[in-house]
Amino acid sequence: MSILFSGRVGSGAAERKIGLSRRFVMFWVNHVRQALFSLGELWRTPSASILTIGVLGVSLTLPATLHLMVKNVQQVSDSFTQAAEISLFIKDGSSEAQISSLQKILQADNDIARVTYISKQQALDEFAQVSGFGPALTYLNENPLPDVLLVLPKNTGADSARQLLNRLSKERIVEFGKLDIDWLARLDAIISLLRQSVLVIAVLLLGAVLLIIGNTIRLSIMNKKDEIEVMKLVGATDAFIQRPFLYSGIWYGVFGGLLAFLIVEAMLWWLQGAIVSVTSLYDGEFSLMALSLMEFISLMVLAMLLGLSGSYLSVRRHITAIEPTGP
Amino acid sequence: MLEFDQVSKSYPGGFVALDRVSFKLEKGEMAFLTGHSGAGKSTLLKLISLIERPSVGRVLINDVDLSRIRRNHIPYVRRDVGIIFQNHRLLMNHTVFDNVALPLVIEGFSGKDMVKRVHAALDKVGLLDKARCLPQTLSGGEQQRVGIARAVVNKPPLLLADEPTGNLDPDLSKDIMRVFEAFNQVGVSVLVATHDLGLVARMKYRTLTLRQGKMINDGLLQYQEDPL
Repeated sequence: MSILFSGRVGSGAAERKIGLSRRFVMFWVNHVRQALFSLGELWRTPSASILTIGVLGVSLTLPATLHLMVKNVQQVSDSFTQAAEISLFIKDGSSEAQISSLQKILQADNDIARVTYISKQQALDEFAQVSGFGPALTYLNENPLPDVLLVLPKNTGADSARQLLNRLSKERIVEFGKLDIDWLARLDAIISLLRQSVLVIAVLLLGAVLLIIGNTIRLSIMNKKDEIEVMKLVGATDAFIQRPFLYSGIWYGVFGGLLAFLIVEAMLWWLQGAIVSVTSLYDGEFSLMALSLMEFISLMVLAMLLGLSGSYLSVRRHITAIEPTGP
Repeated sequence: MLEFDQVSKSYPGGFVALDRVSFKLEKGEMAFLTGHSGAGKSTLLKLISLIERPSVGRVLINDVDLSRIRRNHIPYVRRDVGIIFQNHRLLMNHTVFDNVALPLVIEGFSGKDMVKRVHAALDKVGLLDKARCLPQTLSGGEQQRVGIARAVVNKPPLLLADEPTGNLDPDLSKDIMRVFEAFNQVGVSVLVATHDLGLVARMKYRTLTLRQGKMINDGLLQYQEDPL
């Protein structure tokens, strides 16, 4: 495009007769070429690039690790949500017949999945066995424990379980019902607190990544000040000068993301043994969850976007500021 | 081609670099711009290449008023004006070929077309065999000629040179001037700023002389001694 000389021959490749498809291909070829060129630039200054990539990798590792932590804790807590079991304590002095008829009624109830009867004698035996107070219990004159019906609701949600509890507590022979759901609510609250704080920390660290990339790009712009001046003097637009720096930013993001992924994987591998020995003590079925493919892709995309926007912020400010001072 | 219409340029602090300068360079004309350092030669060239804007007056290239050019269009104006710098301003860590190709890459050329043009430009300045060299390995005169090749590679209609022979010996200076003459003969307008008055007088071209920002002479410089 020539502003001064309309119809100037041979000025600008875009004005010559080039097919649309060829121009489209050339557009991508040029971008790939510039991306590779920027990669080469990083390669030519290995020590500076490695330092920057290292800092980025560590900064991205922390949010990724915290995310994994929340994910694994959530996996543990999810297995507890099935535990909304209602205990119905039967009034002392109720007859066996009354209890078994109530059990039958409850079993026929549409809202109830399962009813288990634990008689006071069963409960005492179990208590003696588990608690280790066996010999001491023989000194009791009578069994202090009540008969219990354990009711598992079909719908284990907190609200519907609570409604069922209210209904069942009104049965004649039921002393009172108990639904231990408060601790679940507390656990949920703690997890959500954890997730919120992870979010805050992640935002801070990602902000740090943005600043690091911005500063690195600023330094490389300053290093190439003379080159940029010459390019401006021979007619390069700001967009043309910016492009390699934007690609550098993206490459920083890519390598930082990859490094973070590798660190997280190494950390998981390192911790696997320790976690297995802890969980085996609690005989829980717990397997450590690693990053899924989706999470890996989002980590990489996030890192690339941070790289691009960090360098864009820097490039916007600094490249327009560099003006040639004279021929 | 190039026209200055009552152009003044003053800098903050009251220094007047150019004072009501008017002249016209026709299409295909070659002229010298002389004067002591500080006389305003560089300022005049800066106004043409839009590094600076005039305080008063108009600068026109091909009847387009440069004051109407918006900031984001400045690069396109610079593509139409080939500039040769005193310190040649080459990219020292790129080969001669890359340096000369830079304006073409900026304009979006690639492949065979670009190679052909770069080779043609290097051939004109006699450096075709040095295309793969780094500028550091070349002599001062050769570096200057690389700068000229870069300025002409996209065939601009107007060529500006700022002290192109500033630190060259007389023989090399003459060679460089021959190169400018050759471009002028194929229809390029050329304006060469220099303080090498001996050379100017021998070349017998129109000469614009500046003193303290004022145009004091516009015509042939007839005598070899200093007119200032």
